[in-house]
Amino acid sequence: MSFTDADLIARVLSREDQNAFGELVRRYQSPVRAFLARMTRGDAHLADDLAQETFLKAWRKLNTFRGDAKFSTWLFGIAFNEFRGAARQRKELALEDVEGPLLEEPAAARDGHLRLDLTEALKLLNSNERAAVVLCCQNGLSHEDAARVLDCPLGTVKTNVLRGREKLRRRLSPAYENYESA
Amino acid sequence: MNRPEQNDPLDALLREQNPYVEDNGFTRRVVSALPSRPSRFPLCQIFLLVVTTIGSALAISQLPWENLPLLNLSALITLNSQVLLPWALALSVVGSLIWATVAAVQWED
Repeated sequence: MSFTDADLIARVLSREDQNAFGELVRRYQSPVRAFLARMTRGDAHLADDLAQETFLKAWRKLNTFRGDAKFSTWLFGIAFNEFRGAARQRKELALEDVEGPLLEEPAAARDGHLRLDLTEALKLLNSNERAAVVLCCQNGLSHEDAARVLDCPLGTVKTNVLRGREKLRRRLSPAYENYESA
Repeated sequence: MNRPEQNDPLDALLREQNPYVEDNGFTRRVVSALPSRPSRFPLCQIFLLVVTTIGSALAISQLPWENLPLLNLSALITLNSQVLLPWALALSVVGSLIWATVAAVQWED
């Protein structure tokens, strides 16, 4: 028998059920860790530390989850706040709009390693564009939900998605044409 | 609601390259690090409620309820302090008790 998120949350709140919370972690660890890995430009260790802190915060604050958004949306919001906190302390994370050699050297694209190239191309976006693209285009969040996660106006999210996609399109165009024809 | 464009290869690429991250003990590490959940009414909430209740009880017991002047329209219009002041005091006691109860219930860490 599989419990819904709401069932599991109710069990955590009423009985402090760690197994129920463990099931929630199991369900959402992948999208949260993948999101944070993108946000930290591939630093898996830092992403896992932030993800762990995200779930611990979710455990402590679960009684403030109102249920007006999906649980995953609420988790992404906590995760993005954790990333922002880390970015304030680490210069390399806060680095916005990477320019220069990274833009000029699409080595992976030349080699046809599209997966690697998308990862590299995402690193070129600033953190707001990257977050908007990853949430909306990879995780399927609506612009409204992404605005809630990123705590910014809806128009800003739409702009960041557009700009991010445009940058990705420009960066990936050589490999991506091959991908299209494949 | 935004819908990814089905025919846009960039969207297809983004969706496709969102791999599942294997758990590899992550859930176990999180669950073993869980602290005990903060109680519904932590100490500071209880303290706030107790202090306000005691203060209100004292104020209510000291208020000369039987001698409260009759509140009438002319006293309101003329802003008669001898009539209005005791009523203002009584209302502030009741108001602070309500406020403290609401604050304690809505308390967040």
